[in-house]
Amino acid sequence: MEKILIVDDSQMNREILADMLEGYEILEAENGKDAVAMVREHGAEISLILLDMIMPEMDGLEAMEIMGKNGWLTDLPVIMISSEDSPELTHMAYELGVTEFIRRPFDALVVQKRCRNIIALYSKQKKLMDLFADQFYEKEKNSRMMIDILAHIVEFRNNECGMHVINVQNYTEILLRKLVTITDKYQLSESDIGLIANASALHDIGKISIPDEILNKPGRLTDEEFKIMKGHSAAGAQMLSDLPFHSEEPIVKLSYAIARWHHERWDGRGYPDGLKGDDIPIAAQVVSLADVYDALTADRVYKKAFSHETAVEMILKGECGTFNPLLLQCLETSQDEIRAVKEKGSGLSAKGESEIKAFARELLKSDALYSSDRLLHLLEYEKMKNRFFEGITGGCSFEYSVSTRILSFSKNAAAAVGLPETIMDPSSDPRLSSVFGSASIKDLVARLRGASPEEPVVQLYLHQLVTTNCGVVEQSFRISEAPEVMGNYPPNTKRCVYRLICLTTWTLEEPQRYTGVIGKLIPNESAYGIMKGVDIIDLKGVL
Amino acid sequence: MTLKEFYEGIGSDYNAALMRMGNNEKMLDKFVRKFPNDKTCEQLFSSFKDEDYTLAFRMAHTLKGLCSNLGLDKLQQASSELTEALRNQVAANAGELLEIVRAEYDKVISSLEKLDVLA
Repeated sequence: MEKILIVDDSQMNREILADMLEGYEILEAENGKDAVAMVREHGAEISLILLDMIMPEMDGLEAMEIMGKNGWLTDLPVIMISSEDSPELTHMAYELGVTEFIRRPFDALVVQKRCRNIIALYSKQKKLMDLFADQFYEKEKNSRMMIDILAHIVEFRNNECGMHVINVQNYTEILLRKLVTITDKYQLSESDIGLIANASALHDIGKISIPDEILNKPGRLTDEEFKIMKGHSAAGAQMLSDLPFHSEEPIVKLSYAIARWHHERWDGRGYPDGLKGDDIPIAAQVVSLADVYDALTADRVYKKAFSHETAVEMILKGECGTFNPLLLQCLETSQDEIRAVKEKGSGLSAKGESEIKAFARELLKSDALYSSDRLLHLLEYEKMKNRFFEGITGGCSFEYSVSTRILSFSKNAAAAVGLPETIMDPSSDPRLSSVFGSASIKDLVARLRGASPEEPVVQLYLHQLVTTNCGVVEQSFRISEAPEVMGNYPPNTKRCVYRLICLTTWTLEEPQRYTGVIGKLIPNESAYGIMKGVDIIDLKGVL
Repeated sequence: MTLKEFYEGIGSDYNAALMRMGNNEKMLDKFVRKFPNDKTCEQLFSSFKDEDYTLAFRMAHTLKGLCSNLGLDKLQQASSELTEALRNQVAANAGELLEIVRAEYDKVISSLEKLDVLA
């Protein structure tokens, strides 16, 4: 049921409005302050606010101002109910984001119709924005994937492990993010940063034209060979400018600049054009630094990897070329992040998350796409809340989406079972079956298949069996519908039972399709009683 | 006294009030009966007496809105005039206007006592 928040200092007024709005769930607040608190608490659950203008503590306009500043009004309509009809107040109210006015005395039919229409309008807009966001993500993901594939082909030929492109992308992004915090000289938006990072994948595309014997020569290159090798930057740029299509696209232009000028030097002694200082496009300058850092910290046919500290020191001392002092400052101040990426690599999930955050930030800044930001804000908030509660209660939860085929565990759950937080294609992942046993997984999948939109919840029990034989500890899992002991156990087996509660999710439109499952694992209280004497603490540590 | 007679007795438009409640007589009856329990008027008188004119203004304003919705036309008119007399600064005739509000309010309350239970 849709929720409407009625804000009015007169209880009787609230009662009359509530009576007129039959069929909605009504929330009430008696002044602006309470209203703000309500919106903070209920967020997107509220479909509409009916707001009185003159109230004690905080009046309607002040409340509008606060909600507007918090970005809550972008997809939350407000109808102001007032007998004030001075043009000044009306203008002010509209400027603060009031959607509509209802004049006193209000009429039951007008109140009902207007509320229904505005809620319908806003929910339609919300749906369109969601649809747009989904498609946007899908497209973005596909194009990024294609670029990565292409770039990897170049690298495999180069006998590199395939991480170079991804590393350079990540370092580029980190350096640019830092750069925009220390200067606004380059006028880079969040989407520019994304584009440059994407385009950086093609920086060495010109190496396709370099013969194998030179590209993969283990020893030192002769002067002649080195000259040919240096040709890769101009060659790459040539390929991109010869493209018969998309030549005006920003990403192609950026790729061109990066491919051509990523071996230029700040002092003008680089190649192929000997550009100097900021004549070198900033995109190429950043990729150049990221490229050098990654080359230094990786094994190559002709050298061993340097440590992060040595590499940074060499760059800062100017032993590997000259760079924009601002960029060197970025390198120095974002070392922790860079080292973290170098050591751990930035997995798919981490990257996805940083992208979503960046996109959210961008949206929050932009006026045009105003409708999604509260949504994303709430999404972020929800995630944070979940992590927080999970941190306290120690719960283990997981989530699986059919469309992405990604299984994700909460931090706790992943750490406890020793699995990564995200697993692609879980049905064919050997790590999953090695922990839970393929029989248990098959069993669980079969039971989930038995759920329906009408009965989406599947409640099961997960039995964790730990058998100790001559000091060798073996662990297995069974799934059943009851918490009681099932079947026979080998001797020396300790058992711990968890309730496994799964909620299968379904599409809203008919025919309803299965979209995934979210689940939580909780130690079964009653099982503690049954299994007296079992060392629960010991077992709890495992899950 | 029927609801209609009550409205006519206090010089107010019964049909307009009824229509605003979506022609739901039960609903109009319910809220009119609740009116004597509403504290707005009481607070208006006490705040005016305490010379708290900010609060008195707000109460007069609330009363005006409430009466307009319940169709208590005379009381609405009186409280509307008082509201304007208290907006920004206290007008010289505010005291007189308050007495008119009081008189109209008493009229409504005493009439309500004679209202029949709705069939």
